[in-house]
Amino acid sequence: MPTKNNLLARSALLALFLAFFCFNAFAQKPVTGKVTTKANQPIAGATVEVKGSNTVAITNGEGVFSINAPSDKSILVFTVVGYETVEQTVGGKNSFNVTLSETTTQLNEILVTGYSAQRKKDITGSVSVVNVKDLKAIPAGSPEQMLQGRASGLNVITNGQPGTGSNIRIRGITNFGNVDPLVIVDGVQGSLTNLNATDIESIQVLKDAGAASIYGVRGSNGVIVVTTKRGRSGKAQITYDSYIGTQRPPSGNVFNLLDTKGMADLTWLAFKNSGQATIHPQYGSGSNPVIPDYINNGGNGGIVGSISAADLAKYNTSDFSKGIYQIVAANKTGTDWFHEIFKPAGIQSHTITASGGNEKNTYLFSLNYFNQEGTAIGTYLKRYSARVNTTFNIKNNIRIGENLYIFNRDNPRFNNQDEGNPISMTYRQQPIIPVRDINGGWAGTAAKGLGNATNPVASQVRGMDNKGNSWDIQGNAFAEIDFAKHFTARSAFGGTMSNFYYYNYGFRTYENAENNGSNSFSENAGYNRSWTFTNTLKYSNVFAEKHAVTALVGVEAQENYGRGVGGGSLGYFTDNVNFRTLSTGSSGFTNYSYAYINSLYSLFGKVDYAYNDKYLFSATVRRDGSSRFGPDKRYGIFPSFAAGWRISREDFMKDISWINDLKLRGSWGKLGNQANVDPSNAFSQYGGGPGSAYYDINGTSTSSVQGFTSSRIGNPATGWEENLLTNFGFDAVLFKNKVDFSFEYYQKKVNGLLFSDQAPATVGGAALPNVNIGNIENKGIDASLTYHGTANKDLKYDLGLIFTQYKTNVSEIPGNYFDAGGSRIGNFVRNQVGNAIGAFYGYKVAGIFQDAADVSKSATQDGAKPGRFKYVDVDGDKVITDKDRTFFGNPNPKFTLGFNVNVNYKNFDFSTFFYGSFGNDVINYVRYWTDFYPSFQGVKSQDALNKSWLPTRTNTNVPIAENDANFSTNQVPNSYYLEKGGYFRCKSLIIGYTVPAASLKKLGIEKVRFYGQVANLFTITKYTGLDPELGGSNTAFGIDYGNYPNNQKNFNFGVNVTF
Amino acid sequence: MKQSKFRILLIGATASMLMFYACSKNFLDKAPIGSLDQNTLSNKAGVEGVLIGAYSMLDGYGGAGGGWQSAGSNWVYGGVASDDAYKGSDAGDQADIVPIETYSSTASNGYFNQKWQAVYDAVQRCNDVLRLMGAATDISDADKKRIIGEAKFLRAHYHMDAKKIWNNIPYVDETITYAAGNYNVPNDKDAWVGINADLDAAIANLPATQSSVGRANVWAAKSLKVKALMFQKNFAAALTLAKDVIANGVTTKGTKYALTANMFDNFNAATKNSSEAIFSTQQSVNDNSNGSNGGWGDVLNFPYNGGPGGCCGFYQPSISLANSYKVDANGLPLLDTWNATDFKNDQGIASGTAFTPDVTTPVDPRLDFTIGRRGIPYLDWGLHPGNDWIRDQNYSGPYAPIKHVYYKSQAGALTDNSFWTGGVTANNYTFIRFADVLLWAAECEVEVGSLANAVTLVNQVRNRVKSNPSTWVKQAGGANAANYQVGLYATFPDQNYGRKAVRFERKLELAFEGHRFFDLVRYGTAADELNAYIAKEKAKRTFFASATFTKGKSEYFPIPQSQIDLSKGTLKQNPGY
Repeated sequence: MPTKNNLLARSALLALFLAFFCFNAFAQKPVTGKVTTKANQPIAGATVEVKGSNTVAITNGEGVFSINAPSDKSILVFTVVGYETVEQTVGGKNSFNVTLSETTTQLNEILVTGYSAQRKKDITGSVSVVNVKDLKAIPAGSPEQMLQGRASGLNVITNGQPGTGSNIRIRGITNFGNVDPLVIVDGVQGSLTNLNATDIESIQVLKDAGAASIYGVRGSNGVIVVTTKRGRSGKAQITYDSYIGTQRPPSGNVFNLLDTKGMADLTWLAFKNSGQATIHPQYGSGSNPVIPDYINNGGNGGIVGSISAADLAKYNTSDFSKGIYQIVAANKTGTDWFHEIFKPAGIQSHTITASGGNEKNTYLFSLNYFNQEGTAIGTYLKRYSARVNTTFNIKNNIRIGENLYIFNRDNPRFNNQDEGNPISMTYRQQPIIPVRDINGGWAGTAAKGLGNATNPVASQVRGMDNKGNSWDIQGNAFAEIDFAKHFTARSAFGGTMSNFYYYNYGFRTYENAENNGSNSFSENAGYNRSWTFTNTLKYSNVFAEKHAVTALVGVEAQENYGRGVGGGSLGYFTDNVNFRTLSTGSSGFTNYSYAYINSLYSLFGKVDYAYNDKYLFSATVRRDGSSRFGPDKRYGIFPSFAAGWRISREDFMKDISWINDLKLRGSWGKLGNQANVDPSNAFSQYGGGPGSAYYDINGTSTSSVQGFTSSRIGNPATGWEENLLTNFGFDAVLFKNKVDFSFEYYQKKVNGLLFSDQAPATVGGAALPNVNIGNIENKGIDASLTYHGTANKDLKYDLGLIFTQYKTNVSEIPGNYFDAGGSRIGNFVRNQVGNAIGAFYGYKVAGIFQDAADVSKSATQDGAKPGRFKYVDVDGDKVITDKDRTFFGNPNPKFTLGFNVNVNYKNFDFSTFFYGSFGNDVINYVRYWTDFYPSFQGVKSQDALNKSWLPTRTNTNVPIAENDANFSTNQVPNSYYLEKGGYFRCKSLIIGYTVPAASLKKLGIEKVRFYGQVANLFTITKYTGLDPELGGSNTAFGIDYGNYPNNQKNFNFGVNVTF
Repeated sequence: MKQSKFRILLIGATASMLMFYACSKNFLDKAPIGSLDQNTLSNKAGVEGVLIGAYSMLDGYGGAGGGWQSAGSNWVYGGVASDDAYKGSDAGDQADIVPIETYSSTASNGYFNQKWQAVYDAVQRCNDVLRLMGAATDISDADKKRIIGEAKFLRAHYHMDAKKIWNNIPYVDETITYAAGNYNVPNDKDAWVGINADLDAAIANLPATQSSVGRANVWAAKSLKVKALMFQKNFAAALTLAKDVIANGVTTKGTKYALTANMFDNFNAATKNSSEAIFSTQQSVNDNSNGSNGGWGDVLNFPYNGGPGGCCGFYQPSISLANSYKVDANGLPLLDTWNATDFKNDQGIASGTAFTPDVTTPVDPRLDFTIGRRGIPYLDWGLHPGNDWIRDQNYSGPYAPIKHVYYKSQAGALTDNSFWTGGVTANNYTFIRFADVLLWAAECEVEVGSLANAVTLVNQVRNRVKSNPSTWVKQAGGANAANYQVGLYATFPDQNYGRKAVRFERKLELAFEGHRFFDLVRYGTAADELNAYIAKEKAKRTFFASATFTKGKSEYFPIPQSQIDLSKGTLKQNPGY
């Protein structure tokens, strides 16, 4: 029986086999030389390659190389990043001195695409190249966040919480499950989240089938290919990159909330408008509310005057057995809860990189410390990471190497976009409540009549000792062997071992209306292990000097496995931080564990053909087998074809001088998606834990008997999702290489969309399998425009514009629709055939009922009354029913833009980056809490008091303030919550100064650059909430449920030093 | 030389790839970890386990559906929708209950879908028992009979729950599966046919006593059949069967059915599964389920702000219900004039302001078993403080519920502290208690039997309270907390009077037990009584302002719109929606 180990062994054998039989040297002609810049400086690390073969040499620190050329007819190709590639025929010479000029176009840039590298001008698929230097200008803990606006076709939405994940979407949303692109780091499936941005050499985004189909069943969401830096031959170089700064939360009354007096006035207004008695536990029962001196004295509220000495003596917030006795003074002006939570916070990053090598071997070693405090107290990201990348040229034709990245991360977080998080509590907690009571205990809604919020300062401060740790090892080792002149075999084994560990302690609370009855502790840990074993064989040759052929075949196996455990217990004898282990609780002991496994096995091949650098063809096929599917549906074949025409190389274009290069290209292909299938999808399963299937059949009151329930219905007939992609585009270099323009139009058709089967509840409660039902169509335009300008010798500038636009329509799903975007008042989103993904759905507010006559002449509506919402009678039947719900908003932007400016003047550099999202709608669900008196008795908005409808104030869109809640007020999703969500933001502004090299030489320093930065300098938006950049799931997004803003100003000072 | 090496390479590489391919077949077989398959469960132990899973849905929590939305106690559909209770809490919390309370529900109200999902999840759990048993070979015939009996009993119970709420419901038996693709079951057939058949099978198969107190026995099945017959207005058959239950019925432990001396024992976790409990949920706490096997369905229904449970102030008794407990000089209810004047309450009075509860007006002692009110001892929690325990008195009135609340002395032992509320208790919800059967029998006697027998049965229920004055709520000094009076009926002068008296007795005895709305619909008086209720309450509760019970429509709730949509129109909406 072949087992996994067997499989590994055999694959290793293959590699060995290749090693033994295949290295070879041929009789050749030795050629030496030196590569220099125009200023006659040696260029180290330049690649010298015999064209059409795999014979390669690298220049040393003096720019010197030596290589064996097969014949005088051989062509040597000299390439190095940042310089124009030069080709020279050997032609009998033994020695070359080659001068390279700095690049003005990226056409010859070598891009790592799938399993191979290509010159940009040869690429026929759709590949966005990220300018990594610009990318690093964004101060953030994760390269994910830096990608926003940096690649056409790529949208990134993030929130401001340190260490948070981002929504990354390549060319929109084309399914309802996992839309995360495949991320390949140094050839291994990985993640961008925790990479040290300083380590990144290049990022390419593969968007169409021509580029991504080599990744087959994993490629349909697009692929982000990341390559990390490697050492260059030459003298050892040490660099130090660092910045330190401060982040500033938004100032002012960010939610436009009432103060203490305003809340009292609003309470009376609401009672009066509802015809209710003006009586309140805090404000008394007079005709005007009275702000009390104390809001809580042993459970009594509304105390005017002082607290007796006898009562003061009863104060107790520590001994629950005696009964809590709190004394809380009123905050008569009002607590600014937002700024009690959000404070200026520091950020710093330090990276030391050592790299170097000789012609044979190179190394790179980097260490990074990153520490971002959140502006919300108690949130932070601390990360320590190290990278070791090495390459060894064992012989001229054998290279081995490795990439290794290790990090340790400490990153406790709270649930973003959640009605219970500290951000939501800042607009749910009333201003009359102070942060602390008279003796320093926490204050809260235990004071009567002030709603049910919790004290967010208390929850954050109490949580300071909670930890969320993770540590990962990622990397791979590879061997490459060149043989038989045109072949390269490569074997790589790599993977990730990720571990997480977090624990949380919950205090027994006393200060809230709804308190935790016990302290509690939970502790959780787990690991994920993933390995990928890839073997490829590459052939490249040039026939008759004009027919360039590259072919690649490969085999790849991948396995993912993980386990996790956790537990909890209650009733801790003391809250002492050193007592917090699972076994020291006294009751409520629970535990769990889980495990998963899945695997992938693939064969793939790719052929690139170029005729005279003019006509380019590429064909790819991949066959994937995935354990996620039943035996009959296990294998899928994913082909693609792409073609390019470098029209500028045609004779008839020769005379058009302003066109330096023009390439038309198109591709068609098929991609797959298996991410939306649970690894167990094919299996019918029974399970059930204590909560879902156990039952106290013996009536003991304190124990339950194990039971089972059908947990999943399997479907072995489910297969991968099939994505048909068509892409047309052109790349142009114009006006003396000053303008790069790239444009593409694509169409993506998802057939057999993987979607949970839909059936009425009569089928039972088990999870239904994902099945291939549904189609989605997606069209869009990606474009990028770069202008390289030179005003004079000293002043150079670059302008870059990135444009992304997509339109997604649901063309078929089972059940025709499904709802998402849940809230206290129902779902705000309906994903329905014929509509955009994530479209907002509900009643459309026509206005406010102005008087009884208005009510009676309008369609019959439950709860209709002057001052309340009047809904649009969509079906015109004179009654407002479910059928009058309609689509009233679209969270998808019409387009997004990234605009980058770089200016260099003498030793100064200036750069700024803007990002904009245009035409998207958002739901400001915060208004549910703040604009309606009965939406829980938290603090309300100034609008609720000062702009709400009254018979004497009718010209308003804010409904009447009242203590009643129904269909016509705050109980159903309607368009009142809709706002324009477009924004334009200055993400970064940097001014840098590079110290003249001459003055540093004697210090042994090669280069020093200082810079100052402002991030998020301004955001232009009509959105009235904190930040219109609102993430979510891909079935419901753009809804503000209490979002950690990502627009906080950030002032940094940084330095780059090279020794 | 070069050529041959190259050939070796090609052959080698191809061979390696083929080998790789050959073993990939197993490499891609990855069965899930941590679950069971059908074969593992197709035996006695497995089937018994799946049966436990079917029981575990009795409280409506832990499967599909929600918590309070699908509570086994039906406090929303049976209680808030009736004249027993208001939604309670504040105006904004659990917004979806407001239209249920004011008979203005639309079919997209999330509450209905959650209840519907819970019911049919439970039904399919019963069906799983029957299906798996078909493949098992190690189950004795006696066990088979019992298992069939229990599964069909539960299946009938769950369907009946749905039947009461929606009337037109699909009946889902074990032939309905995902694999067969026949799950779009129409709701145009009379579900009573299936319910009756399942109950008959349960009666035929179930033993009188059971190893576990929580299982259904034959007497539970007969009692449930009585209930089904009551809803089908088959009073003659119901009477015969009810008499059998009254005369011969025993609990699973073999104890003869009887009323407990202390009525409140039915609502106390420490005295549950008594001689009066015919069929109940079995709630447990501190059992490593993080509280989810406690009474989750009623977790919102505790006093607010410092009271027991601490959250969330829902399910508040109506003014009208409190008025119902006023009695005349003979200790008999005021069958016609009960709602003419309001019993004294502390509406509009802050807890800090003095208030004396009414201790002079004669009231039925069951008032203070059912309604928490200011100045009266609230279990062992001390005097109910009034407004302080009420979340928003302006909105939802002065009263608090009691029947599912735990004693202070039980906190931590019979409640679970795993969650944000202390209101997760080991208190069972009793679907059928013996008093219920006695009153059904009384109702049948009024309809098709003897009024004298009806009087006897009603008095049997009343006498339990009357003859146990020591169980009445006492002040700290030991005196009765109010002027409690309970008398016995001498006769029912005529059938109308008898009908009225029996129905009123059900209201008093079974208030806050989730039956009232369904009883009113069963009587056919829902429109009259509930519109009268609204008319009376409107002045006190602003949310009733535009409420109307529409005869011929509001008796049943709308079939969830999402279920209709998912069934591609196979399910038909109830009339009027």
